[in-house]
Amino acid sequence: MSDFEPKLVCFSCRFGWGYLADQHALSAQIKNWIPIICSGKVDAIQVLDAFKHGADGVLILGCPAGECHYQDGNEESKKRVLLLQKLLDACGIEPARVRMEMSLDPEGKKIPGLVKNMTETIRKLGPVKMS
Amino acid sequence: MVAKPKVAIAWLGSCGGCDEAVVDLNEALLDVTNAVDVIFWPVALDFKYHHLEKMTDGDIVLSIINGHVRNSEQEEVAKLLRKKSKLVLSFGSCACFGGTPGMANFRTKEDIFNWVYRDAPTVVNPQGNYPQVKTKVDGKELTLPAFYEQVYALNQIIDVDYYLPGCPPPPDLIANAVNAVLQGKLPPKGSTLAPHKALCDSCKRNKTKPQKIAIKELKRIHEIEASPDICFLAQGVLCLGLATRDGCGAVCIETNIPCRGCFGPVEGVKDAGAKTIAALASMLDVHSDDEMEKAVNSIDDLAGYLYRFSLPVSTLKKRRV
Repeated sequence: MSDFEPKLVCFSCRFGWGYLADQHALSAQIKNWIPIICSGKVDAIQVLDAFKHGADGVLILGCPAGECHYQDGNEESKKRVLLLQKLLDACGIEPARVRMEMSLDPEGKKIPGLVKNMTETIRKLGPVKMS
Repeated sequence: MVAKPKVAIAWLGSCGGCDEAVVDLNEALLDVTNAVDVIFWPVALDFKYHHLEKMTDGDIVLSIINGHVRNSEQEEVAKLLRKKSKLVLSFGSCACFGGTPGMANFRTKEDIFNWVYRDAPTVVNPQGNYPQVKTKVDGKELTLPAFYEQVYALNQIIDVDYYLPGCPPPPDLIANAVNAVLQGKLPPKGSTLAPHKALCDSCKRNKTKPQKIAIKELKRIHEIEASPDICFLAQGVLCLGLATRDGCGAVCIETNIPCRGCFGPVEGVKDAGAKTIAALASMLDVHSDDEMEKAVNSIDDLAGYLYRFSLPVSTLKKRRV
């Protein structure tokens, strides 16, 4: 398992994360980084599709509670993550493979660190068993 | 005299309810049998598999197949009927999505065998016998179909032309489907012969559904004295009508039981459970982390609830070990 390099997909809300950063420089540091308009846009289907297409973990970065540009998209996303973790657990996929972080980071300085931390968590879990 | 079109009705992993639904056509069944020759229907008539094998390929106009596939006999019958039939109708929720037996995919084959033949309190099996595909008894070899690792929907085994979900499908949709075949008025291959919208759309209780549903804690139907007229969601009971295909006639709702999703997801949605999550999340009126976790953890067997009929065709399909 030592040569296992986890594949992570990171969705982040453009309103709270990395909007002041040099997008090209930041995306060079983060593989599979998908900035989106509101974390509430991420559906459970898209997370499952990410796993189906080879992701070993999915990280969703949303705005802090009460600070969503669209009222409560971040909270909707958080609830979906908690519900989806139940489905994953019932099917033998570790809930820690989906994580949501609610914070503010306009310069995107924290994103590479968060991705790295989660990558290390996933490395211990091993590849996701989708088939 | 022109030969009547040949029709086969087969059950695979099935409870018999789908065959009963065909019988429930009542007098209309006589019209059907006047119009077609039922050449295979194990529940009702004595025909053997070798009768089917002798038929010319494509000789059967329509095979109506119910039940899921979990063993080698079921797979063999499904493939034989596919070979002999022009059209195959996947009939009922088990054939269409795996059905309630599909929830067995939350357990491994090993878990199931250990429980059924060793651990269940009512089991007496001192020699520890487990089913074998081949067994020698008195010098003779007895055989059993092989039990597969998981439950499959029919279209995961053979090519299917049309789908008619339901547990079981209602008589009006069965009659429509059979008439459509007989009259050659069929929609494009792969269609589901049922409405496209969600059950909420035709539910009588829909007018009592509030603009914004706000549920602090989900209740199960036996935990409350449910009103027979008010939307279940407004009463805090999880009803899957909002994400389930219409066409059942709301028979569960009529008996004051919330929709459990037997008609499968609405048109265009592949994963019923994952899609329902979005709707469920928006209805949960909880905001802090503690409130969210409490609400989510209070739901018993969420995966079983959301994939009660459709686990084998979902993205996740089964439990991993």
